[in-house]
Amino acid sequence: MSESVTCCEQPEIDFVVLDRIIQEEYGGRREAMIMMMQAIQRQYRYLPEEALIYLSLSIGVPLTKIYEVATFYASFSLIPKGKHILHVCTGTACHLRGSGGMVQHVAQKLGIEPGQTTPDMKITLETVNCLGACAMAPIVVLDETYHPQSTVGLINELIDPILAE
Amino acid sequence: MKIIMDGKEVAAEYGQTIIEVARKNGIYIPTLCHVPGLEPAAMCRICTVELTEHRRTRLVTSCNYPLRQDAEIQTDTPRLRGGRKLIIELLATRCPDRQVLKELGERYGADLHRFPADDKDCIMCGLCARVCERVGANVLTLSGRGVEITVSTFMGRVATHCIGCGACAIICPVNAIRIEDHDGYRSVILKGKEASRIPLRSCTSCGRPFGPVIDLAPVLERAGEPGVPAFHTSVCPSCSRRNHAKRILERHFEPYDTAIQAFVDEGRRF
Amino acid sequence: MTSISPAPDLSWTRKLSRPEDLAAYRNQLIAEQHPDATRILVCCGTGCKALGALHLLAAMKQAVADANLDVKVAPLVKRTGCHSFCSRGPMLAIQPQDIFYQKLKPSDAAEIVQETIIGGKLIPRFLYKPPGAKQPIEKRSEIPFFAAQTRVVLERVGQIDPFDIRDAIAWGAYSGLAKVLTEMQPKEVIEEMKISKLRGRGGAGFPAGLKWESCARQPGRHYVICNGDEGDPGAFMDASLMEGDPHAVLEGMAIAAYAIGSDRGFLYVRMEYPLAVQTLSNAIRQAEDLGLLGQNILGTGFNFKVSVSTGAGAFVCGESSALMSSLEGKVGRPRPKYIRSTEKGFRDSPSNLNNVETYANVPKIILNGGAWYASMGTERSSGTKVFSLTGNVNNVGLIEVPMGTSLRHIVYDIGGGIPNRKELKAVQTGGPSGGCIPIPKKFLDINVGFGKLAEIGSIMGSGGMIVMDENTCMVEVSRYFIHFLVEESCGQCTPCREGLTQMEDILTRITRGEGRDGDIELLEEIGNFTNSFSLCGLGTSAANPVLSTIRYFREEYEEHIRDRKCKAGVCKALYHLEILPDVCTGCGVCKKRCPAKAVTGEKKEPHLIHQELCIKCMECYRNCKFDAIAIR
Repeated sequence: MSESVTCCEQPEIDFVVLDRIIQEEYGGRREAMIMMMQAIQRQYRYLPEEALIYLSLSIGVPLTKIYEVATFYASFSLIPKGKHILHVCTGTACHLRGSGGMVQHVAQKLGIEPGQTTPDMKITLETVNCLGACAMAPIVVLDETYHPQSTVGLINELIDPILAE
Repeated sequence: MKIIMDGKEVAAEYGQTIIEVARKNGIYIPTLCHVPGLEPAAMCRICTVELTEHRRTRLVTSCNYPLRQDAEIQTDTPRLRGGRKLIIELLATRCPDRQVLKELGERYGADLHRFPADDKDCIMCGLCARVCERVGANVLTLSGRGVEITVSTFMGRVATHCIGCGACAIICPVNAIRIEDHDGYRSVILKGKEASRIPLRSCTSCGRPFGPVIDLAPVLERAGEPGVPAFHTSVCPSCSRRNHAKRILERHFEPYDTAIQAFVDEGRRF
Repeated sequence: MTSISPAPDLSWTRKLSRPEDLAAYRNQLIAEQHPDATRILVCCGTGCKALGALHLLAAMKQAVADANLDVKVAPLVKRTGCHSFCSRGPMLAIQPQDIFYQKLKPSDAAEIVQETIIGGKLIPRFLYKPPGAKQPIEKRSEIPFFAAQTRVVLERVGQIDPFDIRDAIAWGAYSGLAKVLTEMQPKEVIEEMKISKLRGRGGAGFPAGLKWESCARQPGRHYVICNGDEGDPGAFMDASLMEGDPHAVLEGMAIAAYAIGSDRGFLYVRMEYPLAVQTLSNAIRQAEDLGLLGQNILGTGFNFKVSVSTGAGAFVCGESSALMSSLEGKVGRPRPKYIRSTEKGFRDSPSNLNNVETYANVPKIILNGGAWYASMGTERSSGTKVFSLTGNVNNVGLIEVPMGTSLRHIVYDIGGGIPNRKELKAVQTGGPSGGCIPIPKKFLDINVGFGKLAEIGSIMGSGGMIVMDENTCMVEVSRYFIHFLVEESCGQCTPCREGLTQMEDILTRITRGEGRDGDIELLEEIGNFTNSFSLCGLGTSAANPVLSTIRYFREEYEEHIRDRKCKAGVCKALYHLEILPDVCTGCGVCKKRCPAKAVTGEKKEPHLIHQELCIKCMECYRNCKFDAIAIR
């Protein structure tokens, strides 16, 4: 994260929405900052710089502290995520049943590393440490829909239509 | 409270940290991430010592362990020397050939090239970020986590709200931060890359740039002394001295010491 | 996420303004339920939900409605938490008939209603049949997986609708809270907890009663914090509790609050558990509506407000001081403090932090007495413990057994043994901070408890139990855990950040066949160092997976380094697959399965793997019915 981040296009930031999140939902409390950032990320699919600056001014937390939090927690992203997000679980049970190979396969197929997004912004590939559904290992989650007992073939069936869109 | 350090009883006050007591009593404990005056962070772990309280011995970091009861402390056992040696060897992968690691390495018999090097120009002591939060303007912060952890500005951009105080450069144990004044600007160069840039003020008298243009409000706010007026001067120190001398000469009709006193008073008013 | 059926509207219910009201309300709720009513309990835990349990639930509801039953009491289709037999989902139970149907599809709903509910007949293909058995087991209570367990903390999970507080109250929720508020002094509550000898279920096993006592002694505002940041991969006990019986956790927290003198509680739940967040938030709302949480609880003047906070994806936030930092909206780095959080924790105030399972045990202890609880389990580890049994075992799921149960009982009697005629090799407990227990060479009969596991170089941890068969490479397993910890380390202290990175490099080299002499000793040196010089619990236990596998499987490391062999068939650079010509029947399955077209051979003739084409995906190995493929 030490490299400066350049974004393709900045989304329109709606300050009314930000105020609703910061002031109404969480009462402007500094302690709720992580949850505010999650709400902002749900809104824009990532943390736009402008929104973070607005957050900093609203709750009086230095911008660098917000940046520290944004880069520490795995769920935050400072760069826009794709239209679809594919999570591959790499928990122990999933790992023993070959989720590592599936990650490799998708990464190769899409030409990206886990955590990255395809250049056409269609798919973001992410790994997650355990979803608590170990009996269904290996688990793949596409846009919050769980796909149990996945295989490389099943993943292809999931992402091929998206790539063809 | 009876504190025994390396076999001899030492004077200690309730709540003092082990390292404070050791320094006061002339006992050496190495440290890479601790500076008196800053909240200890216990990150480098090289100041670890063996502590025995209630007949239970354990390892604690001396920079932040407050002594609150009878204790016996060993600061230089084979186990500690082994741990310190490894810490130096591991840190050397991030920063090969830095003076501070060479010296410590010699002391503890470390092989600075034991592990493959991956020069990151930084030993991650976190001092710069902590001092920036404490005395600077929150320009530098730790970012990321795990092996990816690094010191950075917001989004890795060149910061403009830096006050150019230079505390980060002074405090860095591996000299990875420089302050450079050039072309009317002051830059903080962090690991070879510009981290902040602020304009320098030009002297109204000689025209040469001197201190940075800064907003002192946040600093004064943190100092907790709202009554202190913002310090502003428009001439550089050497012109200021020349002007003073000139004006002392102009007041030659006054007794010499009265004249000096007048200028001292004037200076205080700044 | 599939949308949740709306929770029942309770705004019409009156607030329970006296302790007696709770008992009266409970009796009323029980009276409203017809004793003969058939209850169809559909498991909607995270696992079954992933398999489409919500569709099954809807289909069952529809089928019951469509059947237009001409009976006095209509069967009740209920959404419940996890039934814990996760490898058999989606599943449902029919009570009081004691029927267990498994591996269902929504299209099976009509048949179940017609045949079983109306016709009173069992449908054999939905019944559970143990591996190798000829006949299915007819009664749910006779299935070994259920019968061999002792369900105390999981009692209500899978029985009640977690979105309806009335169901929980009918099953006794909050009567423990009513009891402490009316009959017990805070000191007596703590005393009862000490008698129970309940040890924290989060991993360290600190006695809960002592923790409460030392927290209560501190001056200032107190906080009750529940650690629901179940980060160990392969562990989902706390998830199932929060999703299946949220009121047990909330009631336990409220009792703790009463005991230590607190009026504010926080539940920190990992963001990967969206269902738990929903269930808990809903449970808090309903409990507040009824006056069981919030201001002036049951009219006794006791206040306790709880809120749910979510993590943002950081394993280290399971560490107590990091969790409190994160609750304060900051970076979740463990604090370098030598002051207990019971003295100075959240907001620098005295804070009592326990994990989900610990709190869920509290109401039972209050109702049945500490002595009752201490009578279960062993002398040093009392009570029961929930484990999530996963990996290479037939019955994957959640199990609850008394402390001190042997691994043999867990793996074979409850877990049903190892699938595919494989050998049991090890059991990993305690997640990334734990170790691998070698089996069957040693320790199969070891009793699982805090002390025993620590003795043999592992830890109890929060209760993840991963069974590993002969095709598990122990070097690769420790590389996996170290890699996990390298990514999850907060990065502030040198031993954990740099030491683990070096260990990962060495382990990666070994698994690639580039191991060198002295690597094992170097791993031990760094491992012992990180375990003693690191800042927090994550760092000081991080090397356990490596140290325990070296301790028990040293020869496997040596084979990797010296012979460049991985007998388990995991490290791709260190093995190849061969078809044994005298065993191969030439059935052709391997040839058909091979994605790389590396297998050739005529029907009924021994086949051959062409090494230059083989990508070692193991498809042939896994699917050969005759064990004719060997790892070499």
